[in-house]
Amino acid sequence: MDSPEQKITKTVSRVDASKESMANSRQVIGINFCGPTPLMWRADDLKSVRELGIIGTLVGSLARQPRQNTRLGRPLELLPEEGRLLADMGRAAVIPDSTNEDPEVNPEQVEQYHAGLENSFQEQGALALEDRKATLMRVMTKKHNENSGSQEDSDGAVRDRLEALAHGFSFPRTAMAVQLCTARAGLSHCPEVRRFLAADWPIPRDERSETRFRVFRDLRRQGFYLTSAGKFGGDYLVYPGDPLRFHAYFIVVCISMDESMPLCDVLAIARLGSNVKKTVLLCSSGGSQEDDGEEVVYTSLQWSGMV
Amino acid sequence: MSELTKKTDEDVIEKPLPPNWILQHPTYQHLMNLDVGDSAQVHAAFLVYLDLSEVRQWKEVSGVGCSELRLVLLEGREKEGEPTQTVLPLPVHRGLSHRSVRSVLARGSPMLLCVVASDSSLVYQRMCDGLLTPDPPVGIQDQGRRQHRKRRQQH
Repeated sequence: MDSPEQKITKTVSRVDASKESMANSRQVIGINFCGPTPLMWRADDLKSVRELGIIGTLVGSLARQPRQNTRLGRPLELLPEEGRLLADMGRAAVIPDSTNEDPEVNPEQVEQYHAGLENSFQEQGALALEDRKATLMRVMTKKHNENSGSQEDSDGAVRDRLEALAHGFSFPRTAMAVQLCTARAGLSHCPEVRRFLAADWPIPRDERSETRFRVFRDLRRQGFYLTSAGKFGGDYLVYPGDPLRFHAYFIVVCISMDESMPLCDVLAIARLGSNVKKTVLLCSSGGSQEDDGEEVVYTSLQWSGMV
Repeated sequence: MSELTKKTDEDVIEKPLPPNWILQHPTYQHLMNLDVGDSAQVHAAFLVYLDLSEVRQWKEVSGVGCSELRLVLLEGREKEGEPTQTVLPLPVHRGLSHRSVRSVLARGSPMLLCVVASDSSLVYQRMCDGLLTPDPPVGIQDQGRRQHRKRRQQH
């Protein structure tokens, strides 16, 4: 993070998205929908999307550290506004939901899958047995070195033990490791096909979502990074740069121009903002047209200093 | 003799205020005569007027009517020579729309919202146009390895 002096004088940095996107060769990002929520699974996609200023939230378990939530893994959950912005930029495509497919349509695939599982099981069993044998050898050799008994006796003992192991060893099914693929090679894998799928984006058309989206797009255009602000009772948190490097400057509350705000709520959120050193922004979209050039108006709530 | 004494006593003791002294206050009557806000809003405006002029010693505090919003606004200077500020007084039970805020901001002077509670306590909230960068938190230093060492000691 910057030192305090640098932050005071620093003007808002504008991410030069155009240069970076050229370097990215404009790949299309695949998005899976779980109900109304856009999710991303592919690691490459997560990286490209971050470079576009879309942050999202990781919501998955890490396979090796499941029982904690300090570090989460894929999928990356996007805000509806983030997904819609990607779609508008022509960078995202919805991957069709394959779970709705009738399983009987592809009996071959199912058979292949089970055959693959069986092969994996046999391989793992063989490897486990080898592993056990090696351990046994190591232990017996150590014992032999310690006891320094006769060579022939110990060799015989080792052979017997190994044979017993080979006969009696069984690899239980429950100990088998199964690989879960987060990216399946298939129809949606090829970039050309993704571009083809880009047309289909579900857009909610109520005023609130529309206002939220316009505010999101406008702030993103100004170079800010936005994440959700549930912890602060607002709509977005606005950062002057990548959230990993900066504290948030603003808590955004999206409202319509004519919506009546209870005064207690205004005071409450302004007070919260002062306490956490963030400015609360009341944001409204200028009009109700479908116009792309609609102005967004911002009002900052500032500490009055009047005790 | 006793009548004379009574007279001087009356002169020394201040006359108690009538219970409806607010209604008789010239500024209150001026605000009512602006004929914009409802009585609750005018009452709130009057309380803010008293706070600004008497308690905070603001200069040139006066009430103005805003017909667009149908509200009474107050204008004044915090100190002599400083630019005029606009105060929007509102009783706490009312709502506020962003559009109203924008019209007050459009008048050009720095804006304060003042919320008046039923017990007459006042809270001022400054509002301005645009994106105002907040003050940075104080006392930021690179802690270096100190935090790491602290955690190690705990375990």
